[in-house]
Amino acid sequence: MSSEPLLIANGLSYSYLERFLALEEVSLEVARGQRLALLGANGCGKSTLLKILAGLIFADRGSYFAFGEEVNAEKLEDEQFSAGFRSRVGFVFQNTDAQVFSPTVREEIAFGPLQLGLEPDEIEARISDVTAMLEIEDLIERAPYQLSAGQKKRVAIASVLTMNPELLLFDEPTAGLDPRSRHWLLELMTELGDAGKTIVFATHELDQLESIADRCLVLSEQHRRLAVGVPAEILADRELLLTANLVHEHTHRHGERLHSHAHERGHHHRYSGEHGFPSAG
Amino acid sequence: MSETPVWLLEREPGAFPFGCSGKRRRGGAIEKTLDGLAKVVRQAIASEEIAARPGLLQRLDARAKLLGVLALLIAAGLIRHIFVLAGLYALTLVLAAASRIGLRWFVKRVWLFIPLFTGVIVAPAMFSFVTPGEVVLPLGRWFGHEVGLTRQGLTSAGLIVSRVATSISLVVLLTLTTSWPRLLSALRALLVPRLLVLVLGMAYRYLFVLLDVVSEMITARTARTVAGRKGGRGARVVAGFSGGALFGKAHALSEEIHQAMLARGYRGETRSLERASLRIADGVWLAACLSLALLTIGGDRALGL
Repeated sequence: MSSEPLLIANGLSYSYLERFLALEEVSLEVARGQRLALLGANGCGKSTLLKILAGLIFADRGSYFAFGEEVNAEKLEDEQFSAGFRSRVGFVFQNTDAQVFSPTVREEIAFGPLQLGLEPDEIEARISDVTAMLEIEDLIERAPYQLSAGQKKRVAIASVLTMNPELLLFDEPTAGLDPRSRHWLLELMTELGDAGKTIVFATHELDQLESIADRCLVLSEQHRRLAVGVPAEILADRELLLTANLVHEHTHRHGERLHSHAHERGHHHRYSGEHGFPSAG
Repeated sequence: MSETPVWLLEREPGAFPFGCSGKRRRGGAIEKTLDGLAKVVRQAIASEEIAARPGLLQRLDARAKLLGVLALLIAAGLIRHIFVLAGLYALTLVLAAASRIGLRWFVKRVWLFIPLFTGVIVAPAMFSFVTPGEVVLPLGRWFGHEVGLTRQGLTSAGLIVSRVATSISLVVLLTLTTSWPRLLSALRALLVPRLLVLVLGMAYRYLFVLLDVVSEMITARTARTVAGRKGGRGARVVAGFSGGALFGKAHALSEEIHQAMLARGYRGETRSLERASLRIADGVWLAACLSLALLTIGGDRALGL
């Protein structure tokens, strides 16, 4: 892995409608080929940060550099800069209904490469490869409203992968997916990361974090950066996870004795021991 | 988390007795709306199934089909004799049968629109006080004048109704035998502005998303409706709130769709993968439609007024 930073963000702040704070003074660096997990509770600013990294919204304060160039609204007005940036950055939205907007799956997957100006034969070849890889060949002529949530997620990912971007941004990639689709997606992210893609993804789920992320950036509920570190360090810091609302204090009774420990958000309790970090179930 | 209210932890005695009273309430506007929403989706699916059948019109290129139908539509608009129009209408029935569309279903689908769109316009034109002429069905006298349906009025009304029926039949044939994406590509190929085609495509796509949202909103409301209440102000307020919420959701969705398009390099120019080339059959169809349009218009003119 190269140590050259692919993304550099300095002191990013952003407010919606100039009133509702979403990010406050957040800085980060992402090295080429790195897999960075943005961790934080609901509403802490993960999606906003991803949208800034994707050049879809622009920070009120602070600066953002990608691929060695500053990214801002003015520069993205430039045809060549915009084409260069968009071809290098792929964004998989949390809301697949927003992302899958074309009348058929084929057109959806072809949308990005067509915008890049690729030759039709090249586009057809990419569609064929990606749909085979994601096992959605039989959905190709279907309309998006005929797809399940898992299928729509696959189509959304396919629509981004056909552009073959260097940087992949995933917003809550596993949200709303059944266990099989979730497992499949995490495996895909690992494979893409192993292939050298830079991946930044937002999540508040902690299980399997160590297998899919090299580093984590934790955002507080006050929309600030709380910590940066490798997954093992972050997961071992119980106080940090409690502060970020990524785990909650779970209190229950063992016979006559009240017992409290940290418990991961959204996961069932598993009685694996009285103390220490609980395993997600 | 703050403390749970005490009343929430206590067992509710139940505001209503649990059991049948024998008094039934029929499904109201909500159930009808839900049925209507489901019907829209069913119709869309049925249309796509028809477009995929191996029929005559389905085999043709969408551009050729669109141009051919356009020529016949112009002819239908210019023909002034009912029996010529009836001949053209009969042709649409033959085409429907050749395209494996159930004739009964096709006729029903077309004639369902006629009273709605033409009834209001046509009805007054049949009367002597709007279209003077030979009264064939007298209805009485008014201020010394005979009032009734006139031959000229009935002819005009029949002409309008048959023109609308033929035109709608042609459009229904086109839309039933062509998938929506191909139809949009054909519109684009025939120089309809890109933006309009893009808006049409997205409107169709998001119609289903918004149908889902509306359906969920109605179902959620039904789930929380304890006692049946008759319409009135309350219902209007709920409808108003639902409309507002739907508008808000549609707005948020449109903003995110735009971002999703930008993220994949969209800069106001849509491109299509469609590379279909015209075949001999498409040329034959186009030539047949153009000839038929010219023949019917010419023949109609030759028959005089």
